[in-house]
Amino acid sequence: MILLLQGAAADAPDRTAVVTPEGSATYGELLRDAQHIAAGLRRRGITRFALVEADAAWVIRLLAGAALAGAEPCQYQADTAGHELIEQARALGHSVVVTRRRDLDGSLDAVHPEDLAPGRAGEPEVASGPQPVTIRTTGTTGLPKAARHDWRVLARTVAGMRPRPEQRWLLAYGPHQFAGIQVLLHVVASQATLVAPFPRQPRDGLDALVADGVTCVSATPTFWRFLLAEARSRSVALPRLEQVTLGGEASPAELLEELRAAFPDARVSQVYASTEFGSITSVNDGLPGIAVGALFSESNPTSNVRVEDGELWVRGGGGMLGYAGEPDGGDSRAAIGEWRPTGDLVEIIGGRVLFRGRTSEVINVGGVKVHPLPVEERISALGSVALARVFGRPSALTGAIVAVDIVPAGGAGTADVQQIRREVQAAVADLPRAWHPRSVTLVDTIETRGGKTVRGVEA
Amino acid sequence: MATDQDTARAVIAEFLQRADKGAEGWGDETGLWGDGLGLDSLEAAELSAMLEDEFGSDPFSAGSDLPERVGDIVAFYAAVTTE
Repeated sequence: MILLLQGAAADAPDRTAVVTPEGSATYGELLRDAQHIAAGLRRRGITRFALVEADAAWVIRLLAGAALAGAEPCQYQADTAGHELIEQARALGHSVVVTRRRDLDGSLDAVHPEDLAPGRAGEPEVASGPQPVTIRTTGTTGLPKAARHDWRVLARTVAGMRPRPEQRWLLAYGPHQFAGIQVLLHVVASQATLVAPFPRQPRDGLDALVADGVTCVSATPTFWRFLLAEARSRSVALPRLEQVTLGGEASPAELLEELRAAFPDARVSQVYASTEFGSITSVNDGLPGIAVGALFSESNPTSNVRVEDGELWVRGGGGMLGYAGEPDGGDSRAAIGEWRPTGDLVEIIGGRVLFRGRTSEVINVGGVKVHPLPVEERISALGSVALARVFGRPSALTGAIVAVDIVPAGGAGTADVQQIRREVQAAVADLPRAWHPRSVTLVDTIETRGGKTVRGVEA
Repeated sequence: MATDQDTARAVIAEFLQRADKGAEGWGDETGLWGDGLGLDSLEAAELSAMLEDEFGSDPFSAGSDLPERVGDIVAFYAAVTTE
């Protein structure tokens, strides 16, 4: 991070690096602040800290400053309730928190970021050795874990990127998420501008698209669905986009078609990455899933992706050092070239590797394993449905039944629930009976975590 | 004013209509399984969920013997009401 920032600041010190609700900052300003913060961290002897900050400009300053000082930051979602944050930070052994929030002091050793950066710092040298950073998983499939990475390894994916000063990237992910970190690295490496609203709900992203001249967006399929639904309901004329990127979840065909129609000039990419494994592969042909030809085989020995027993396996050198709390290079770290299962269930159909959901999302209906995604895709494609979430609902009779929450296209208040039930029934008629939703509920909104739809079996 | 038992019968009627099992020709003595309504486990689980949505509890999940007749379901809510 710090090396990329130094490069951008040397080439274009006066270029706007980031725009947030608090204002904007140039690359030169961010580097100067990062240097001050590095000096402050060293002065206070802080080598490891929790970072709780909503403003993306401050996040970049603090991440780059930490990398410069060789300190290990770990971001937490900035709008988490105080008592939860304290619990989460203690679980990872963080006693120092760098934050502008006032409600964490007392329980943790809270340091205001401006207190780290007074006066002149000179130009401290980049710390030798690893530049560690801890990234927590979103925990959509269980308790969040924390993966320790090295900035130098993370930055390999953006090595050699040419400057793209005309690009303005929306920060649709939280900067505490792995995908958010990827966007930060991409923007700094390409010396582009980051547009970072807060909150980062799809409606805020839509406003930024229209008002802040965003040209590129990377977001989850769930975020895109919400954004398109919001645009339809507000009759917003969508601006031209140059780049549309999807990641973090499977991208259904109907959503890809919708995005192509909404942004006809955009290059549509799907990225496959995880907090633990790093960036693995990307798909740019606009079709759902991965082409079978891109899988590892004798004729394609450099591929980092293969399928085994219906599950996607990956290998890569950009993965984590290990989970927080275990020694570097521990069992959880995949050695370079070592294959690991991802927990993503796939099916090969028509030359494509299609995602069917997570192993942890499988719904066991009386012994029949139901994958929520094919059900959700059929329901989401209905004209009367704006958004849908398929999940398991516990049942004393069958262990679980398939349930679906639906946000109707015209809102839950005026929708005809019986009509929607009939449409759902017809949409899933080709699936086995155990896959049919037995519980259909109309809702105003669908809960997400880290921009992803939460599935699995509810307690 | 509708009682809980009336509401339970209305939920069962709605379920039978949804499941294409006909909304008429059944009563409290009608069996739930086999030659009665002929529910299978998935249909019973659906009815169980509908009753739970309406009342917060249902006789299929109560931990005792499964209901055998429509009247057992209706009686469950009578028992709940008077407890």
